[in-house]
Amino acid sequence: MSYVKINSLSKRFGDVTVFEDIEFNIEKGEFVTLLGPSGCGKSTLLRTLAGLDKANAGQICVDGVDITNVSPQHREIGMVFQSYALFPNMTVEDNVFFGLKMKGSSKKEAKVNLQKMLTLVELNGKEKFYPHELSGGQRQRVALARALIVKPRILLLDEPLSALDAKIRKNLRQQILDIQKELNLTTIFVTHDQEEAMLMSDRIFLMNKGEIIQQGNPVEIYTKPANEFVASFMGNYNLISGETAKHWFNINTTSPKVAIRPESIYIKEAGRHYADHISSPKSAKIISHQLLGNIIRYNLKVENEVLTVDLLNRSSERLMPKGSEIELLFNLNEIQPVGT
Amino acid sequence: MENSKQFVHKGVVYSITTLLLIPILATFIYSLSSSWGATILPDGFTFKWYSSLLTDPRFLDAFGRSLFICIASLLLATLLVLPMIFVVFYYYPKLDKVMNLLILLPFAVPPVVSSVGLLQLYANSSFQLVGTPWILIGTYFTIALPFMYRAIANSFTAINLKDLIDAAHLLGATTTKAFLLIILPNLKKGLLASLFLSFSFLLGEFVFANILVGTRYETLQIYLYNMRQTSGHFTSALVMTYFAFIFLSTWLASRLTRGNNQ
Ligand SMILES: Nc1ncnc2c1ncn2[C@@H]1O[C@H](COP(=O)(O)OP(=O)(O)OP(=O)(O)O)[C@@H](O)[C@H]1O
Ligand SMILES: [Mg+2]
Repeated sequence: MSYVKINSLSKRFGDVTVFEDIEFNIEKGEFVTLLGPSGCGKSTLLRTLAGLDKANAGQICVDGVDITNVSPQHREIGMVFQSYALFPNMTVEDNVFFGLKMKGSSKKEAKVNLQKMLTLVELNGKEKFYPHELSGGQRQRVALARALIVKPRILLLDEPLSALDAKIRKNLRQQILDIQKELNLTTIFVTHDQEEAMLMSDRIFLMNKGEIIQQGNPVEIYTKPANEFVASFMGNYNLISGETAKHWFNINTTSPKVAIRPESIYIKEAGRHYADHISSPKSAKIISHQLLGNIIRYNLKVENEVLTVDLLNRSSERLMPKGSEIELLFNLNEIQPVGT
Repeated sequence: MENSKQFVHKGVVYSITTLLLIPILATFIYSLSSSWGATILPDGFTFKWYSSLLTDPRFLDAFGRSLFICIASLLLATLLVLPMIFVVFYYYPKLDKVMNLLILLPFAVPPVVSSVGLLQLYANSSFQLVGTPWILIGTYFTIALPFMYRAIANSFTAINLKDLIDAAHLLGATTTKAFLLIILPNLKKGLLASLFLSFSFLLGEFVFANILVGTRYETLQIYLYNMRQTSGHFTSALVMTYFAFIFLSTWLASRLTRGNNQ
């Protein structure tokens, strides 16, 4: 039986329905990411799980016990807020200690525990600092330590990295993962960055407008998008109509659209041998190109469609100028029919 | 060039400060002189005005009464306003606009008018309120309200109230504990600043005190008014003492609010 079970959970604010009949299960120790565009209800879902917002209908079970009507104080769910929400009047130490203090423990008793937690998030030596004296990344780690010290059964992270710059983000991402694996913590992570979701998650729940559109591991979500929304949200899928696809690839599909990943289209090079499933040549014209570091992204016109093709940037001589006429090959195994 | 410019700036600031200080300085010297009549300089210096003031039981009583009324009304204001603002900001954030209007009402009516209104209202009440300190405490409470509400509300908007309380809840704190341990310490600055501001304002209040209570409960300002016929040296000493007290409390306020900046 799953550790966390959500049954037809619904949340409304007045007349506005944020989500309705949400269902999912999470295993113990699993790292799940809620991924979706801004305003789709990710934070509200987390807050409802934590008991900060009250569900209008449905059930939340943890470890076989229904906690739908348990107060947030007694749910044993930890949360890290996007705004950090550190207590500004308390030092790092007191912030982290707060949860234990509420349980009636004294600072002396908690000393070892406190030190261990600060070591875990690499904040030794900052005990007496106030939150305003810390950098963004350090603040986020204090928030993490504060949530972890009470040994929550589930850890909720609401876009904990979105306010940080790329480099700190990368480090902290790994640090969160390491801690999560070490403590075998059941974790729900919220982000609207698909790359982050792919990197970190055991499973991704893709949300849109209050619905979970697709759930699965990163590879499934990326290679088998359930519909147009998923395809356009994950990476830069090319979407062409089913009619055109029938025509181009000689396939039988009833789907209104098919999705083709930009890295599964090849620009034919003379003298190179291609496998059998890479075929269906089409002539195309380069409209523009962008250099994304290790990848060159070409925008091409094929008949009436505009396609995006990603090539590895092996050497700069291969950069083809605008207006070049080239021939494309498609990996037929990677053509995905999708619903709308 | 830069130097001469700065010289001009400093000159302006210092001369204005001196200009403003002259009356205070003159009062101070007057309060210290034995007599200062037809001559440019006083005839001699003495502390007798201060000693007779500070040993006058009527003055000490009036001072004590003023302190009592100010502190009582500020206490009342704090006890009512703090939880009220918390409720407004946490549970009904939309009410803030209404509160802002409500809070300004005491200022919409001039004191002379509203004190007459209060007299009319309470003159025939079943228990004697006019002429007692209680009506003054109630009135001063309404005067202090705008200062207190604005300053504390500003402190509230400066913190992320909802997230802080939510975080505390998840760590096991009740709303009351969260308020006492997390919100209150962050309001200290705003609260202290507004308390000292209202305190010095209320200590100098005369119109309400005179009309609502008058000599039946002589406060500092009424005492000062009643003493206007006595020696000018004596009233100067009185004004200087009052001034020194206000100065001291302002200085304390700035010390306290600066002391714990986090
Ligand atoms: N307290 C509230 N009252 C009314 N509507 C709300 C409230 N909180 C959230 N909503 C609405 O619910 C919807 C979902 O909000 P939510 O904060 O969950 O989005 P999100 O997915 O977390 O977005 P983001 O990625 O921008 O954080 C929004 O349309 C928002 O307007
Ligand atoms: Mg959000």
